[in-house]
Amino acid sequence: MTFLQALLYFTREASVNLIRGWKVSLLAILTITLSLFLTGSFFLVSSNLSQLTKTWRGESKVVVYFAPGTDSAARDRVRGEIAAAAWSGEVSEVSPEQAATRFRSAFPSLEDLLEGWGDEPLPASLEIQVDWSTVDGEAMRADLETLRTDPVVDMVDDDRDWLAQLETAVLLLRGLALVLGGVLLLTAVFTIASIIRLTAYLYHDEIAVQRLVGATEFFIRGPFYIEGLLQGLLGGTLAAASLALGHWLALRRGDGLLVSVLLERFLVPSQLLLLVTLGGLAGLFGAVASLRKESLGRTAEVPDGGWEEEV
Amino acid sequence: MIEFYQVTKRYPGGQLGLDDVSLQIPKGELVFLTGPSGAGKTTFLKLIYREEMASEGYILVNGRNVSNLPERKVPYLRRTIGVVFQSFRLIPRKTVFENVSYLPRVLGLDAKQQRKVAYDTLRRVGLAHRMNAFPMQLSGGEQQRVAIARALINRPDILLADEPTGNLDPELSEEILRLFLEINLEGTTVIFATHDRGLIRRVGRRVLTLEDAKLRRDEHLPGEMVPPAPRRRSEPEAPPDASPEMESAGLSEPVDADPIGAGA
Repeated sequence: MTFLQALLYFTREASVNLIRGWKVSLLAILTITLSLFLTGSFFLVSSNLSQLTKTWRGESKVVVYFAPGTDSAARDRVRGEIAAAAWSGEVSEVSPEQAATRFRSAFPSLEDLLEGWGDEPLPASLEIQVDWSTVDGEAMRADLETLRTDPVVDMVDDDRDWLAQLETAVLLLRGLALVLGGVLLLTAVFTIASIIRLTAYLYHDEIAVQRLVGATEFFIRGPFYIEGLLQGLLGGTLAAASLALGHWLALRRGDGLLVSVLLERFLVPSQLLLLVTLGGLAGLFGAVASLRKESLGRTAEVPDGGWEEEV
Repeated sequence: MIEFYQVTKRYPGGQLGLDDVSLQIPKGELVFLTGPSGAGKTTFLKLIYREEMASEGYILVNGRNVSNLPERKVPYLRRTIGVVFQSFRLIPRKTVFENVSYLPRVLGLDAKQQRKVAYDTLRRVGLAHRMNAFPMQLSGGEQQRVAIARALINRPDILLADEPTGNLDPELSEEILRLFLEINLEGTTVIFATHDRGLIRRVGRRVLTLEDAKLRRDEHLPGEMVPPAPRRRSEPEAPPDASPEMESAGLSEPVDADPIGAGA
């Protein structure tokens, strides 16, 4: 028998097994689907967050807020010091009037908050684009610390601080996805292993006859390996399809910043393929793990009472 | 040729399955293996088809030492040995054809060749017309003949039968016995384990008697039964044109004979 013939035979037998024991097969497939769907969901959200962090980091800036009443000479001095720093890109000054206009435009419903704070409800500031190609983190941090001690500087807002927090959150989310996905995938592997072992037990009369007439281990185990692989692939495909459907529904029905930010991009085809492959590998691993030699039984293990009493 | 040299089989726990047995069975011989239950008959057969390994001594089957045969080569040994059991060991959910055609499938024969080989073999045991039946639809004698067909499908050099008539009434037993005699006359070595001394007396031949795992007697007994005439080799295996029997078996046209090849 050629390898291709064997593969066709294994696939046919595995398909028959899947259909015959469709309830337990469905259980295995759904376990894999659930584990890969949850892993994929976490991965999807963390990918979007990661991408967003990258974009924000590219656009991040440092804002230096002056103390109220700082004169233009002092502001120019500070601006000159900042412009001389290696990490500094374009520096633009925002007057208190410009800041108030921006606030009103961004938060029209909160306009009232600016009332009663005099002529300068918001301080003048300097917005500094960071030149990420030349940035020296330590030097920049030292420069910002010096700025914070300057008597005319009220506050220094560094975007990198909260971006770092966001990146930590993304890392945590990924870690959680890996742990949860790993645990769920392990559960799926065990489920598949148990189901394959059960199937092998149900077919042990047939296996014993196959051994008796001289079938090789490859021929005997092949259908079970393919059965595990098929269950895994089906589970992976279902998970990928569910993710796509869930993503589409969330974008279509969900509104708000959160949905558009967390689900802006869907997984790329290679990532979906990875998900399906992961399912297939989990199924195959489950089948291999379950079919140790002793679990398949030997030719002579069937009593003389016959098969009918056993099955 | 089967040769046992001081073969002992000890099971876990120390129970003896066979104790220091030495003998030779020439090619083409029919040998009866007898003795009370637990005497070691089944162990004797299992050692030949390597279901069990000898604890001491060695066993040659067609010149090959099966005692130290690597596990991965055991399937190839078994393809040269047919085994028949008292309980038939047919798969109830498979048809007669499917039960019989395991080995052709393992060997990679296409569906048409599988049907041809199965048809020829079932015809040999007189059951070609029941190819599509399920075991439960057959009588005990028919089920045993299907089991024999499964054992014969690869034209084995050796046929081992472990109490093949144990579940059959005397009439069917004789029918099955005649079938074994026919198979033997075609050159297959047959070892027929039975505790039915009456059956042995009917046929005669060489009789090995085991008791308490030891070979107590190795003797030739005269028989009463007239042996069946061997089938002529020139007799066609299948009719040149599709018969109703063949058509019902799914064969509409003749296929090249002997697609498996003797002995594999």
